[in-house]
Amino acid sequence: MKWICTALTVFFLAVTHMVAQDLFVTIPAVPTKNPLEGNAEAITAGMGAYRVRCADCHGMDARGIRGPDITQVWAKGRTDAALFSTIHNGVPGTEMPAFPAPRTSDVDVWRILAYLKTMAAPAPDGPPRGNAGAGENVFAANCMGCHRVGERGGNLGPDLSRIGIARARAAMARQIRGTVADFRTGYEPVTLTTPGGQEIRGVKKNEDLFSVQVMDNRERIQGYLREDMRSVTNEKKSAMPTFGSDKLSDEQLDDLLTYLETLQGNKPAQSEGNR
Amino acid sequence: MFRRSSTRFALAALGATVVAVTVAAQAVPPGLVTSQELLAGLPADGSRWVMFGGSYTNQRHSPLTQITPDNVTRLVPQWTFQTDISGSRFETTPLLRDNVLYVTGPLSTAWAIDARTGREIWRYKRELPPTGTLTACCGLVNKGFGVLGDRLFMTTLDAHLVALNMKTGGVVWDVAMADYKQGYASTIAPLVVKDKVIVGVAGGEFGIRGFIDAYDVKTGNRAWRFYTIPGPGEPGNDTWAGDSWQRGGASVWVTGAYDPEINLLYYGIGNPGPDYHSESRKGDNLYSDSIVALDADTGTLRWHYQFTPHDLHDWDATEVPVLADLTIAGQPRKVVMFANRNGFYYTLDRTNGKVIVAKPYVVTTWAKEVDSNGRPILLPGNIPDEKGSLTCPDVTGGTNFWPPSFDPAQRLFFVNAREVCATYYAWRQEYVPGERYTGGAGQRARGPDQRAYGALRAIDPTTGERRWEFEYISPSTSGLLSTASGVIFSGDAEGNFLAIDARNGKFLWRYQMGSALHGTSALTYMLDGRQHVLVPAGTTLTAWALPDVQRVPSTR
Repeated sequence: MKWICTALTVFFLAVTHMVAQDLFVTIPAVPTKNPLEGNAEAITAGMGAYRVRCADCHGMDARGIRGPDITQVWAKGRTDAALFSTIHNGVPGTEMPAFPAPRTSDVDVWRILAYLKTMAAPAPDGPPRGNAGAGENVFAANCMGCHRVGERGGNLGPDLSRIGIARARAAMARQIRGTVADFRTGYEPVTLTTPGGQEIRGVKKNEDLFSVQVMDNRERIQGYLREDMRSVTNEKKSAMPTFGSDKLSDEQLDDLLTYLETLQGNKPAQSEGNR
Repeated sequence: MFRRSSTRFALAALGATVVAVTVAAQAVPPGLVTSQELLAGLPADGSRWVMFGGSYTNQRHSPLTQITPDNVTRLVPQWTFQTDISGSRFETTPLLRDNVLYVTGPLSTAWAIDARTGREIWRYKRELPPTGTLTACCGLVNKGFGVLGDRLFMTTLDAHLVALNMKTGGVVWDVAMADYKQGYASTIAPLVVKDKVIVGVAGGEFGIRGFIDAYDVKTGNRAWRFYTIPGPGEPGNDTWAGDSWQRGGASVWVTGAYDPEINLLYYGIGNPGPDYHSESRKGDNLYSDSIVALDADTGTLRWHYQFTPHDLHDWDATEVPVLADLTIAGQPRKVVMFANRNGFYYTLDRTNGKVIVAKPYVVTTWAKEVDSNGRPILLPGNIPDEKGSLTCPDVTGGTNFWPPSFDPAQRLFFVNAREVCATYYAWRQEYVPGERYTGGAGQRARGPDQRAYGALRAIDPTTGERRWEFEYISPSTSGLLSTASGVIFSGDAEGNFLAIDARNGKFLWRYQMGSALHGTSALTYMLDGRQHVLVPAGTTLTAWALPDVQRVPSTR
């Protein structure tokens, strides 16, 4: 009888210990595949969440505005698990925020991905037309005055060091040809007129009721009080010139786009596992 | 038995004598905060600010006149206090009593601060559950203390109400109002009426059933509870389909007003849940998006008025109700004024809830007007769905919880209004306890034809007409303070603290605070003979005064 008691006690203690060690609790790993892919209800919920939380940067069509085009993420080889992690944890050093619990549950993330999958585009057929080397020359001649790649180029326009990740080829083509207006915050064109009639042209970095902060066309950053100016005018036309076929042939555009696609930024080694 | 209680009585009497002797030994002690003091509101001498809206009317209009439209440009900072709590901000109305400020901060913290120097006297910090488990929808914030006697009252993010010792910040009592794990939280500034502390709960996005509670100031025992969603058998329960009333939201997170003459409390009630997908909650959904008038002693409902029946746009009626006595069409009227998130400004008869004025004060596309029965006449095309529908105003609304002010001399209601539209989406969502339960979302409309901006507007409460406005380049979320000398203190979203002329809306003065006044109003009071203006912005409090006014230290 006594040994039974002892055995039971030992068993009980062992079980208690196992419970305390969480041995009985299965911690579900993040699934490698989206458990909600194709689920109609999840897609609907994901659409709403996507539009509210993601579309501002990535666009209603997911083809990218301030944030990257995300219609080709699967075509480029990213996995569901990696995409889950990107949404959940954000991308450090970029504008992509983390969406942690409790504000965003795991299910919310899978729903968003289920919706995003419905907009996924295939990888482009065959190798892209154009020559990256020739494109780099086109870039140097036409773009580098305002745009920077790595250590080289101007500061008036957005830095393009990782534009190959951030934009789809077609979106870049639209922008260069000038078929879409671009008024990104921080790059809106503005003209300040001094009381003496002198004009200061540049892009608007910030503003409030009383002041405006600009980078002028000589790249001088400076704040001005509105009361010191005769006028502060927001220009209707983007500071980015349009490059019609008269300025840039189709062949040159293809070269340029191919070059831009090679611009992938400085990828820290540890972020590789997340792709 | 008799002997024991008589001994106890004798001891108590002796204790009372000791207290009386001690008190008498001091010259002019400020003494305990009394009910009379609360009833008196903001005193002419500017010596105190002892409740959320300054007085039970919530007018936030100071009688002080040392700072004027002419000299406000000379204000200089006296000191700045920093919370050292990053990632969250002040949404509080500090209290001032006997030259000490009592301030609640984010994450259920609080301070007593020397109003002369900005130096901390004591600090309270509640041990909260892990922040990941707290369900406050919109920031781990707090809106301020209530006070009576030697006790401060404060709600907490885990849905408790605590009473603190004014002298030490020590906890006197602590009661749980609800279970935070079920989606409840509390951020509201308590209103003390007679011997009760009136509070409410947040959680309208988490499937709660809202309520207003009254607790005994001495014991913390609950005196009454008014459920903002009627239960089975109660009038109004049939305005909720099926069992949707159980998780219909109708939260209470903005301090109400009180009329001592008729002993009624006035509270604005939050949105019904799920916010946007409403199929599960067919009906008007009382008392969501309503103002309720409750007997202050019993919590009994006297009347209600629902601004937005069967709301689809998250338009909580959690704006600050403001009381005034006005002459309208030759008749003296006791009114409650209310600029609602739904885009309409209302003047209601506060004795019976009847609509006197209802008029849009921002672009409003969901309702044509309010009919003679007080019901909005809806316009088509404003039902959120999966594709999205464009409606004005947006989710945040024509205005929101940031306090307005009222100038009784000019008879003008001042409010920071927003001109923003949104695309509203809705989808079906299952309820999971403690999780967000909104069934959709609203996305602010953008684009060249969708200019979003804000304006400080002066509204004539007898007509709803706009008298003047001061425009901001983007929507402001700042509360207001006005003074008898004709200065309105406001803020913009870009971090400017602003003084505006109350007579015409003209700009007077500004200072860049480095953070917007989000939901906070400036406070004003007299200290050592100088009028001070105190500004909670971001994680700082900054006190201002005129440099050329002789300081007369109080000798108390």
